[in-house]
Amino acid sequence: MKIIRDNKLCYGCKTCQLACSYHHTRSFWPEKSSILVLRSPLTGKIKWSINQTCDECLNEIEPLCVKYCTYQALKIAK
Amino acid sequence: MNKNIHIQGCLAGKILWVDLSKKRIWTEPSQEYNNLTLGGRGTNSLIMLRNIKIGTKWSDPENLLCFGVGSLVGTMAPGACRVDVSTINIFNRGKGSANVGGSWGAELKYAGYDNLIIVGKSKKPVYLYISDSLVELRDAQYLWGKDVFTTEFILRKTLGKEDIEIAAIGPAGENLVRGSAIIVDTAKAAAGSGVGCVMGDKKLKAIVVRGRGKIEIADPGRFMTIVEKTYQKCKQNPATRLMRQAPLNLYADSEWEGWYTNMVTRNGQDDYWESTKRQRLMNSQNGVPSMIKGVRACYLCPTGCLPFLEIERGKYQGDKGEGFWINTIMGHACRLDISEPEAVVESWILTNQLGLDGDYTASVISWAFELYEKGIISQKDTEGLVLNWGNSDSFLALIKKIAYREGIGDILADGISLAAKRLGKNTEYYSSQIKGQPSIEPFRIPKGWALAVSTSPVAGRHLRGATMGSIRYGPKPRPGNFNSTDYVGQAQGVVWQAKTKELEDNLGICSYVSTWSGANFLEVSDLLELINSGMGVNLCEEDLMEFYAVKGRNLEKVFNLLHTNLSRKDDLPPQRFMREKVKKGPYKGVKMDKNRYNKILEEFYTLWGWDTQTGLPTKTGLISSGLAEVVEPLIQRGKLIEK
Repeated sequence: MKIIRDNKLCYGCKTCQLACSYHHTRSFWPEKSSILVLRSPLTGKIKWSINQTCDECLNEIEPLCVKYCTYQALKIAK
Repeated sequence: MNKNIHIQGCLAGKILWVDLSKKRIWTEPSQEYNNLTLGGRGTNSLIMLRNIKIGTKWSDPENLLCFGVGSLVGTMAPGACRVDVSTINIFNRGKGSANVGGSWGAELKYAGYDNLIIVGKSKKPVYLYISDSLVELRDAQYLWGKDVFTTEFILRKTLGKEDIEIAAIGPAGENLVRGSAIIVDTAKAAAGSGVGCVMGDKKLKAIVVRGRGKIEIADPGRFMTIVEKTYQKCKQNPATRLMRQAPLNLYADSEWEGWYTNMVTRNGQDDYWESTKRQRLMNSQNGVPSMIKGVRACYLCPTGCLPFLEIERGKYQGDKGEGFWINTIMGHACRLDISEPEAVVESWILTNQLGLDGDYTASVISWAFELYEKGIISQKDTEGLVLNWGNSDSFLALIKKIAYREGIGDILADGISLAAKRLGKNTEYYSSQIKGQPSIEPFRIPKGWALAVSTSPVAGRHLRGATMGSIRYGPKPRPGNFNSTDYVGQAQGVVWQAKTKELEDNLGICSYVSTWSGANFLEVSDLLELINSGMGVNLCEEDLMEFYAVKGRNLEKVFNLLHTNLSRKDDLPPQRFMREKVKKGPYKGVKMDKNRYNKILEEFYTLWGWDTQTGLPTKTGLISSGLAEVVEPLIQRGKLIEK
């Protein structure tokens, strides 16, 4: 299982990044997130990446990044 | 009587002070202030009230420029991204406030600061660099004169960082144009009250922020339960789709009711814009919606309302930028009678690029167009520009002239009151101003909207109680009348909406996800649960709506009473809208009836607990909203009802 993102659906709100940090720390701490979202205000482009600290949200029913993406840009690839 | 609460979560913990005159930087704990106000704008207001001496002018070094990040910003509360920017209102010496989204506020909290207070003035241009506990004033001489987009580009390039957030002013703020904004992420404007002008006067070009810290919450499990509930509401609510593309989605329908109720045309001569023009501007084939290249969201926003536009044809081909609002249609299109889509988008991009407040810009330029039409000014005054309605070239040229204070732009850059004194001939009558600030708002048809705009303590903008979506989608029940064109029941709706806005601005919640837009994902009961679980307090809805919200409003009201001569007459709509009727369309013949307006104004004062006739607060009202400290100063100035 891994998390994949559809660039066309992503709005760049960074909710996935913060939700991930909550899973890892039980606080809101973007620096400790497995996900990094960068937006260029000048071009509108969004860069999204996920690193190896992602544990696919062990002990959660579904990964929090997927759960809280209201734009349905994130999915679980099996 | 203050509530005895002790906030235990959601806060970054510190207020960062920066004295530009003395180059001194220090912090103080934020908790005491936030216990009293719930944070954000409330804390900014309290800091201003306690620290700015009466008689201080906007341009004095002692004036404060206060950035207040909402207390829920940095958490997963949906739509929690907003920052209040408060300072002395450049148009009337009273309370000034503007509000902005983006990611800048959250970054400031992760850096460790709930509020940032700028005092003093720098002799040379500087920018403020904040990276957690590293806070430095850096030379900005090389950025001075650069527009907002170039400033953002240079800072990102020279600092070599992609993960910074920037708030900057453009040439307008540097040149002390009164209608200047502070622009975040190149496209989100803290606009109104002249906040960008104050930043320019302090020679502060930009504030760059990077934060690596965390925000902790009092009861994480309980907090995430309400977060999940509100995200589910957002996913399931049919209004989400409408809001997600607003305003383009709503206004692509040329029969959408907002076209008929809220559009002021040709500088206030009418409140009706012809169908052919509506369709030309907003049709999906080659109107503004055809330029959308994507939609973006502010930090943590589940709605997403920011279109990213690119002009693909004509003389502005290749220009692009984020954001296009209902205000853009109200101001840059209808008010100037410009229906050419590329020109309206270009004018929007240009105001951001130059760091102008779009509403101010549209209001003062449409005023100049009408003076030209009436022969009060001519081509001799405009350096050859022909200011006939619909002339987009002249509109765009005037935007630049204002930002750089060239020719007639120098006069228009000082606001309408000063310009009208220079031009004479009853020119002020043709202006739309509230408490001295140029406005683009409707005052004839939607009665509650007009009441909210006219009574706003920060002058002439609609986010202090104007009812919009709450009319259409709920929340239901809410007090008042849902027919916006009635007088009856409007005061109740406006006061309720204004109270929710007080809470939203303290918490940093965007109006588009809360009650104002009608998207309604966060109702007051949801805000309450987020506060109680996140901050570890035990408040009830009445505490929020009847204490903290009333206190927030009173803080600004009291600042105005202590620092200005604003009174009941300044809570009236501009005279024109009470004299001249709508000329065409379904509301032909409608105007604001002065007597009936005065009646709803009195209801409005009563609902806030103020004196019905004068609008002054009462001693018991202020004490019960925790503001005993201002009673004596108000009595000394004869501005308190002693009951």
